Amino acid sequence: MRYFLFIFLPLGWGFTAFTQNLSDTLKLPEFEVKSGYISGNQGFKREKFDSLLLLKHPEANLSDILSKNSLIFIKSYGNGSLASPSFRGTTAQHTQVEWNGINLNSPMLGQIDLSQIPVSQFDEIEILYGATGISRTSGAFGGVINLTTQPDWNKRLKIKLSQTIGSFDTYTTNLSVLAGNQSFQSQTKGEYSTSLNDFLYYNDYLKSNVRQQNASFLQAGLTQELFWKIKDHHLISGKFWYNFSDRNLPPTVTDYDLDHQEKQKEEALRAVLEYKYVDRKYNLMVKTCLVDEWMNYRLDSTIDNTHQYYSWINRVRFSWFGIKNLTIKPGIDFTRDWVRSDAYDGIKTRNTTSLFAEFNWNISHKLSSSLVIRQEVIDDKFLPIIPALGVEYQPVTNVDWKITFNAARNYRYPTLNDLYWSITGNPDLKPENNYSLEFGTLWNHRSKNGKFSVEPSLSGYYTWIYDMITWSPVEGSSLWKPENIDEVRARGIETGLDLHVEQWGILMDWTSRYAFTRSTYEKAGSEYDNKIGKQLIYVPVHNLNSALTLEKWRFFIQYNFSYISARYTGKDNLSMMPGYTLSDILAGKNFNYRDIVLSLQGEIDNLFNLDYQSVTNRPMPGINYRLTLKITFDKPSGK
Amino acid sequence: MSLVTHLSRFLILLSCIFLISCSKDPIREITVDPYDTTTKPAEYGKGVFVINEGNYNWGNASVTFVDYTTGIATQNIFTKENGRNLGDVAQSMKIINGKGYIVVNNSYIIEIVDIQTFKSIQTIKGFPSPRHIGVINSKKAYVSNLKKGISILNLVTNEITGTILIEGWTENLVLCDKFMFVTCIGEYREPSSKRHQWIAVLDTESDQVVDTLPCGKEPIGMVMDKNNKIWVLCSGGYDFYERPSLMRINPSNRAIEEVIPFQASQRVPGKLTINTAGDTLYFLNGGIFRMPIQSETIPANPWIPSNGRLLYGLSVHPVNRTVFVSDALDYVQNGVVYQYDPNGVLIRQFTVGRIPGSFCFTPLTQ
Repeated sequence: MRYFLFIFLPLGWGFTAFTQNLSDTLKLPEFEVKSGYISGNQGFKREKFDSLLLLKHPEANLSDILSKNSLIFIKSYGNGSLASPSFRGTTAQHTQVEWNGINLNSPMLGQIDLSQIPVSQFDEIEILYGATGISRTSGAFGGVINLTTQPDWNKRLKIKLSQTIGSFDTYTTNLSVLAGNQSFQSQTKGEYSTSLNDFLYYNDYLKSNVRQQNASFLQAGLTQELFWKIKDHHLISGKFWYNFSDRNLPPTVTDYDLDHQEKQKEEALRAVLEYKYVDRKYNLMVKTCLVDEWMNYRLDSTIDNTHQYYSWINRVRFSWFGIKNLTIKPGIDFTRDWVRSDAYDGIKTRNTTSLFAEFNWNISHKLSSSLVIRQEVIDDKFLPIIPALGVEYQPVTNVDWKITFNAARNYRYPTLNDLYWSITGNPDLKPENNYSLEFGTLWNHRSKNGKFSVEPSLSGYYTWIYDMITWSPVEGSSLWKPENIDEVRARGIETGLDLHVEQWGILMDWTSRYAFTRSTYEKAGSEYDNKIGKQLIYVPVHNLNSALTLEKWRFFIQYNFSYISARYTGKDNLSMMPGYTLSDILAGKNFNYRDIVLSLQGEIDNLFNLDYQSVTNRPMPGINYRLTLKITFDKPSGK
Repeated sequence: MSLVTHLSRFLILLSCIFLISCSKDPIREITVDPYDTTTKPAEYGKGVFVINEGNYNWGNASVTFVDYTTGIATQNIFTKENGRNLGDVAQSMKIINGKGYIVVNNSYIIEIVDIQTFKSIQTIKGFPSPRHIGVINSKKAYVSNLKKGISILNLVTNEITGTILIEGWTENLVLCDKFMFVTCIGEYREPSSKRHQWIAVLDTESDQVVDTLPCGKEPIGMVMDKNNKIWVLCSGGYDFYERPSLMRINPSNRAIEEVIPFQASQRVPGKLTINTAGDTLYFLNGGIFRMPIQSETIPANPWIPSNGRLLYGLSVHPVNRTVFVSDALDYVQNGVVYQYDPNGVLIRQFTVGRIPGSFCFTPLTQ
C-alpha cells in the first residue's frame, strides 16, 4: 500500500486530541485509518472511513461511496439524480451532513442530495451514529455524516492530477495542489465532471431497450483551504468551497416518449474562518461560516422556481482540562438562516441559538463516560433540554475491547418548508421528539507485528419518534400539508467485521457490514389506516456490504458486494421493490518514479448487469466501466 | 486458525455471494394482493372497475375489478392480463362501443381494453395529459387535457384527428344537442389567483369554440339533470382561493340560471355526480353530500360523514342507485371502497389499489 497516508491520532471531535493534532502528526506510510469508536463521546458510536477509500474514487460522489461502504441506505432516483440518505430506520431529514462543522442540510428541506457532493473536495468521512450527533446538532436522529479536511504539516508540495473516463460519456477531471511548510499550508482542489448519462435500459412499457434521455449533468467544484499555525498554540484556517451543478432530470419510465424538459441548476458557496487556541489546560475555538445556496428548477415551460438561502453559522467552543480525568467543554452556536423562495410568501428567516456543554469523565481506567447537554432557542422559542449520556467500559486492561451504552433525548425542529410553504405551510407544528437507547461492543485485535488485525463490532439500538412531521394530502385538494401525525419505532442491530492480513507479501483487507433495521409506524391516521406495525417505506430491513481488497507489487484488486433487501413502497407493506445484490470490481496499479506516482485504475460497476430500479419507475444503469489515470507528484519535507 | 483455513472459508463465502448475484430477474415494483385471490374471474362481466390513479410519477396506476355476484375484488387486473403496468395516474375509464377506454393521464395515453378479458386492444398515444372522454357519437369523441386543448378522437380508427386549441387545463365534457360544454380551469401550474376559468361551448360539427360562459374558480365538475340543465361545481380553487359554488346553466339559451354559494369553509368540494334519474346531485366536501336539484341551498350537513376518511372518488350506480365512494387514506397505501345503499346504509367495503379515484360500471349491471 504505497499511498502515503497521514493520520492524526486520535481525531476526536473536541479538543482533547487537538494538542496532538498540532504536534504529533504522524507519518505512517503503510498505515490505514480504521473504523471504530473514537475517544471523546465516550459511549457513543462513531466510525471513520478508511481514507484510502476516497483516494481510490476521485470521481465519485458521496452517494456512491456511502451506498457501497456504509450502512446508510441511499434512496437513489438514478445515476446523477437525487440521492437521499437515511439510517437507523429514520428519514433523510434525520440525517445531517456536515462539512468541517458546517451544516450542509438545506434549512428549507432539512435534507441534502448526496449526488451533489463530490468526494474529491474533502479528505475524510466520519459517521456519528444516532445520539452521537447531539454533540454537533439537534434533530439528527439517524446520525451525522461529517466530511472533513485536514492539513498535512509535513507537506512541501503535492500535486495530483487525475482523469476518469467512464461509460455513458462520463468524464471527470481532478486537480489538487497541496503546498506549504511546517507553519503554513495551502490546499487547492478542483473538479470538473460531465456526463451524457444516456445508458440503455429495458423499458417495460415500450417492451424494448431504450436510452435514458434528458439525464446529462455537469458538475464543478473548487476548494481552497489555508492553514496557519503559530508556535503550536494558534491555528488559523480559512476554507472556501464552491460547487456548481447543472443537470437535466430524466423522466420516469412511463414518461418515456415525451419531449421531457426538466432541469435543475445549483450553486453553493461555503466559507469558514476558524481560530483555535491550544494550551495545556484549555483550548478555545471560534468559527464563523457563511453558506450561500441557490437553486433553480424548471419543468417544461410552465415551472421556473428559484430558491436561495444564506446561513450564517457561528460557533464558539471552549475545553477545559483543569481537573484530572475530567474535560468540560461548554459552547455556544448561533445560526441565522435567510431564505428567499418562490414557494414562500416573502423572505423567511430563522435564528437558532444553541447552548451546549459536554463533560468527559474518566471514572476509572476501565470506565469512562460523557454527558452532553444542549439547549436550543429558535426564534425566541425555548426547546426542551436535550441530554445524552454515554458510558464506556473496558473490561480487560490492555485488550482493546469496549462495551458502550448510551441514552438520549432529542428534538427536531420543523424545516422552513414545513413552516412557511405557500398555503399549506403549518406554523403550528411542534418539534419532533425522540428517545433513544443504544448499546455496543467493539473488539480490536492487532498482532504485534501488525500483520494481522481483526475488528468485530456489534451494536443495537431502540428509538421512538413522537410527533413525526409527515406531509399528507389535503382532502379535496391537490395540496399536501405537514402535520405532526406519525409515531415511529425503530430498532435494529449493526454488525461489522474488519480483517487485515499480510502474508507472503500479499495484503488482504476484508471489511463487511450488516444492518438489520425494523422501523415501524406506530400510530394510525384514521381507523381504516393499515400501517400500524408496518415497516417504513423505503427502509430496507437488511443491508449488507462487503469489500475484499488484495494487494501485491503495487497492484490491487478489490471486489465490492452489496445487498439491499426489499423496500416497501406502500405504508400497508402491500407493495415493494424487491431486494437486489450488486457487485463491483476495481483493480489498479501504481508505478513509482522518484517523487512521482502514476496510478492506473479500472472499475466495473454492476458486474452482473442486473436490470434494476432502486426507486419505483426510475431506471438504473446496467454494467458500466470506468478508467482512471492519476499522476501524483509528492515532495514531503523529509526529502 | 491457520491463514489457509481463513482464506478457504472466505472463498466459499465469496462463491455463495457470486451465486446470489447471478439472479437475473429484473428488479421492479411488485404488489401483494390484500385478498388471497389466486384465481381471477374468467371474465370481467358483471361488476365495477375501480380506477386507481396511483402515485404521480410512480407508474403504479391500476384497475381493481369487483364482481357483483361473488363480491370478490381482484386487484391489478390490467397487469395480470397484459403483463405490464397500466402506467402513471389512471384518470378515468369509459365504455364506448363495447370497449373500455382507460385514460392514463401522466402516461399521455388512452389504453383500449376488451371489457370481457381486459386484454389491451390498442394504445392511443400523444394526448397532452388526458383527463376525460366526452362521447359525441359512435364515431367521434372529445378528450379533455391538463396541458393544452381538446383532442378530437376518431372512435372508429382510434386516432387523434385534431386539436381544438384552448389554453390550459380542460376538464369536464357534457354534450347537449350538437354542443359540447367544457369546463376550462386555466393554467394548471398556476395558483388560482392567476388562472382564468370559463366554460367553453364547442360546436361538435365545426370543432370550433362558439360561445363562452363565466364561472367561479376551478370548475371541476359538470353534469346534466333530468330537465336538461347543466350543473357546474366550482371548487373555489385547490388553494382555497374563494368560496365554492354550484351553478346551473340552461344550455339552450346559455344563460346562468342560478349560482348557489357554499358556506365559507376550508374545504375544497369535488367529484360532482348525478343519479340516472337526474334528480339528485352528489358530491364530496369532506363527507358525501346529496342534494335534490330543486334545492336552493347547499345542505349544511353531509349525507354520509367522512369519519376521518379521505374520501376521494364518488359514483352512483346507474341501475341500483347504490353509492360507491373511495377512501384514498394517506395516498401511500391501498385505498378502500365503500358501497352504500340508497338510504346510506353501508352494504360492503373492499380494499382496492393506490388512490382509487373513479369507477366504471360494466354494461351488464346488477
